[in-house]
Amino acid sequence: MAMNNDIILEFRNVTKRFPGVVALSDASFQIRRGEIHGICGENGAGKSTLMKILSGVYPHGTYEGHVIYNGEELKLRASSIHEAAERGIAIVYQELTLIPTMTVGENVFLGREPVEFGVINRDKLYADTRAILSKYQMDVSPLEIVKNLGVGKMQMVEIAKALSENAKVLILDEPTSALSKAEVEKLMGILRGLKEHGVTCIYISHKLEEFFQITDSITVLRDGKMITTQPTSELNLEKLVSTMVGREMKERFPKGKRSPGRVIFEVENLHALDPNDSEREVLKGVSFDLREGEILGIAGLMGSGRTELVMTIFGEYGKITSGKIRLNGREIKIKSSHEAMLHGISLVPEDRKQHGLVLIQSILRNISLANLDQFAHWFRIDDSAELKASLSFAKSLAIKAPDLHAPADSLSGGNQQKVVISKWLMSKPKVLIMDDPTRGVDVGAKFEIYKLMNDLSESGISIIMISSELEEVVGMSDRIMVMCEDKSNGTFDVSEATQERIMALATGISAG
Amino acid sequence: MSVTSTSPTTNPLSDFAKRLRANFQTYALIVATVIIWVGFSVWSGGTYLGAQNFSNIFRQMTITALLSVGMVLVIVTGHIDLSVGKLAGFVSVVVAYMQATYWPKVLPGHELLTTILSVLIGLAVGALYGVFQGYVIAHLRVPAFIVTLGSFWILNGAILLRTAGKTIPANQPFLSVIAQGYLSPLVGWIVAIFVVGLLFITMFISRRRKVKYGFDLPPIYQDLTRTAFFAALVVAYVFYVNQYNGIQIPVLLLAVIAVAVAYISNNTRFGRYAYAIGGNREATRLSGVNIRGNIFMVFVLMGFLCGVSGVTLASYVGYGTIAAGTGYELDAIAACILGGTSTLGGIGTIPGAMIGGLIMASLTTGLQIMNVAPAWQYVLKGLVLVLAVYVDVYFKKNR
Ligand SMILES: Nc1ncnc2c1ncn2[C@@H]1O[C@H](COP(=O)(O)OP(=O)(O)OP(=O)(O)O)[C@@H](O)[C@H]1O
Ligand SMILES: [Mg+2]
Repeated sequence: MAMNNDIILEFRNVTKRFPGVVALSDASFQIRRGEIHGICGENGAGKSTLMKILSGVYPHGTYEGHVIYNGEELKLRASSIHEAAERGIAIVYQELTLIPTMTVGENVFLGREPVEFGVINRDKLYADTRAILSKYQMDVSPLEIVKNLGVGKMQMVEIAKALSENAKVLILDEPTSALSKAEVEKLMGILRGLKEHGVTCIYISHKLEEFFQITDSITVLRDGKMITTQPTSELNLEKLVSTMVGREMKERFPKGKRSPGRVIFEVENLHALDPNDSEREVLKGVSFDLREGEILGIAGLMGSGRTELVMTIFGEYGKITSGKIRLNGREIKIKSSHEAMLHGISLVPEDRKQHGLVLIQSILRNISLANLDQFAHWFRIDDSAELKASLSFAKSLAIKAPDLHAPADSLSGGNQQKVVISKWLMSKPKVLIMDDPTRGVDVGAKFEIYKLMNDLSESGISIIMISSELEEVVGMSDRIMVMCEDKSNGTFDVSEATQERIMALATGISAG
Repeated sequence: MSVTSTSPTTNPLSDFAKRLRANFQTYALIVATVIIWVGFSVWSGGTYLGAQNFSNIFRQMTITALLSVGMVLVIVTGHIDLSVGKLAGFVSVVVAYMQATYWPKVLPGHELLTTILSVLIGLAVGALYGVFQGYVIAHLRVPAFIVTLGSFWILNGAILLRTAGKTIPANQPFLSVIAQGYLSPLVGWIVAIFVVGLLFITMFISRRRKVKYGFDLPPIYQDLTRTAFFAALVVAYVFYVNQYNGIQIPVLLLAVIAVAVAYISNNTRFGRYAYAIGGNREATRLSGVNIRGNIFMVFVLMGFLCGVSGVTLASYVGYGTIAAGTGYELDAIAACILGGTSTLGGIGTIPGAMIGGLIMASLTTGLQIMNVAPAWQYVLKGLVLVLAVYVDVYFKKNR
């Protein structure tokens, strides 16, 4: 039985059904003690569902098959959400779950605060938080209010929160989808530290390179079925992609044949203040221009002001103090997203749950929400035309759902992102701003999104794309603007771009 | 298994099950109504469902149901309106005053004209008050709860000022027709035929449109059965109320308004945006929707419907009093909630609220017929509301 002792977790013929969807079908594989085990698969392949079975979101009895943990069957009860954690299974969900108005320490101990005579012992709470944070070398203050942290640090707090009970297994569902390279490196360091402490890690991501940096073995899921489990050393990127999507994928970025025209959109030395705190400057001088039918990539570290910039342009964030925005040579002042769209400017927001989707509504209603003017004759909305147009996007991006009437919150994370993208691609603006559009989207669907972006720009639409993936910026843009500390720090042609040059500008180490 | 078709699958049985699940709440409400009707009929030895009482139940629900039509949209956008009862009451007092005191002095002898003018003024007062409230809520951004609570007192004061504590008669024959009139059986049948024709025509138009866009059509018998079912309901209703005085004019008014607003809420940008705002205000705003304009319009519509309700109220009771409209806001809200409107916003239908209102009216009438003491009527009404929502929550969790 020495063999079995090596296996900390085993899935045996696990099947999970939702109305109209089989999320997992007969999946079986094992995870060895102390390893970092990658799980990859297309959007909707069932990765998050599998993890939610482990954490008790879908308790024993709501799925078929068996989960063996430490040699005995895991039977989590519906009534207790802390049960998995008490047994050493910690999970960091795909979507952040922190309460933004509370401190780091309060978040880490949410639901199990140390109490004395019914009163929370704050000193102990913060001391314990500090102990966890320093054990794994996380550089965050326990007293900081969460909403003031960048996404990278929030992700660390999520991990600390999951870990604060003696975790044996740590599940990370797409922890890096919102992180930039530098922050990913940090996270990798933390994971390696955890491994030294004997924690087994399950790691889900759509950034496939990461698997080769950190995992010991990889399981591939496709359509809810287990395809293979292999040691990482026996795989390479091409092999992984083809097992994952079920066909060869020669290139990651489709070639467009664009010929950018005259300048249509200009931003000149833009300065803006935080709308809630007029002491703080959130933009400290940004300038760029955008030509017709061009894709302009905006690179930069997390927190370099990229989202603040586009939200300000869109009339939804900073208070502009100086600088100009010009469209077709005429200066414009945009006070709300409504006005922005009247000018022909659309924005794919960064945060799909808060800003992108009406989760309780159907896929169809979500896709058409920004585009109802296209389908309205007099007062009436032509719902057949609406359905037809939405279907064509849903098909080309392969949104995985029983039909378009399924509510958006029943979709997997990546498929939700595809719905947001569809909505904005349909809006056919003059200028389309995309804030990290492919976050959490699988390689195959990314390719389709890129193709649609190429089509749009070839038809004369100008695109501004923010991305934390350097490869994506370099692969898709005509020109690249790099931001550093709320300023634009240089714009250059993609032919002159190297990852080193971008990183240097982004970190402000050298200028030019 | 990606998206291929959104049309119903070819398996009619599973499709039926799906539909049943999707509209579970509506069916549960209909079943509840039937149970209440049968229960009271047995208890009252048949009088309850006699033609006269049946006709009265529907007539009685109209005034608050008119308010619920607007309230659904108010709650769907994530707001609340506590002033609707008092606003309807104020309108009823204004209308009573106009037709009893003001116009007879200014334009003596023109009864029809002055009634029409009184009614128009009533509607205008409702709509204008809606404009005022909508402006304060949407543009000055004072929470609706506060604004409408304030309005509750303001309008209460206005009612006291206008009536000066006295009762104003509102019994011009032309005015009385609005809430007390009936269509003759023959006209009733003409209306029925018209409605049935309309049902079938819309069905065929909708099928034609589907074909035009290349969607699979559901089997014709399926559409026919459904349309025939609704047609049969209409015919049965008209047949039965014709046994008493005929189609009640206020019920006809309610039906027209409810259908119109339901149509608006599903098929226009205004309606779609209302639901989206309630579902996620930020995401809707970032989709370029003029949120404030939309919320403003919801309150204007609500005000106008208060006007309609107030005119009906004046006609129904035949006078304007200091107590006019008291408590109607709560009845209207309760009807929406019973009908499945979510207090969190984003979810709710007008047909649901209409059935909710019907349930409340059926219950009230039944308890009155059985001479249950008013105190117990309140207790029962409260229990039914909470129980109904609990049952709903329970089934949602366990589905
Ligand atoms: N609550 C739910 N109701 C209905 N269907 C669901 C629900 N949750 C998940 N699904 C479906 O189950 C399937 C698997 O979803 P899951 O979230 O596990 O995918 P995933 O592999 O994590 O994808 P992604 O990479 O996009 O996060 C999807 O088709 C999804 O639509
Ligand atoms: Mg997922």
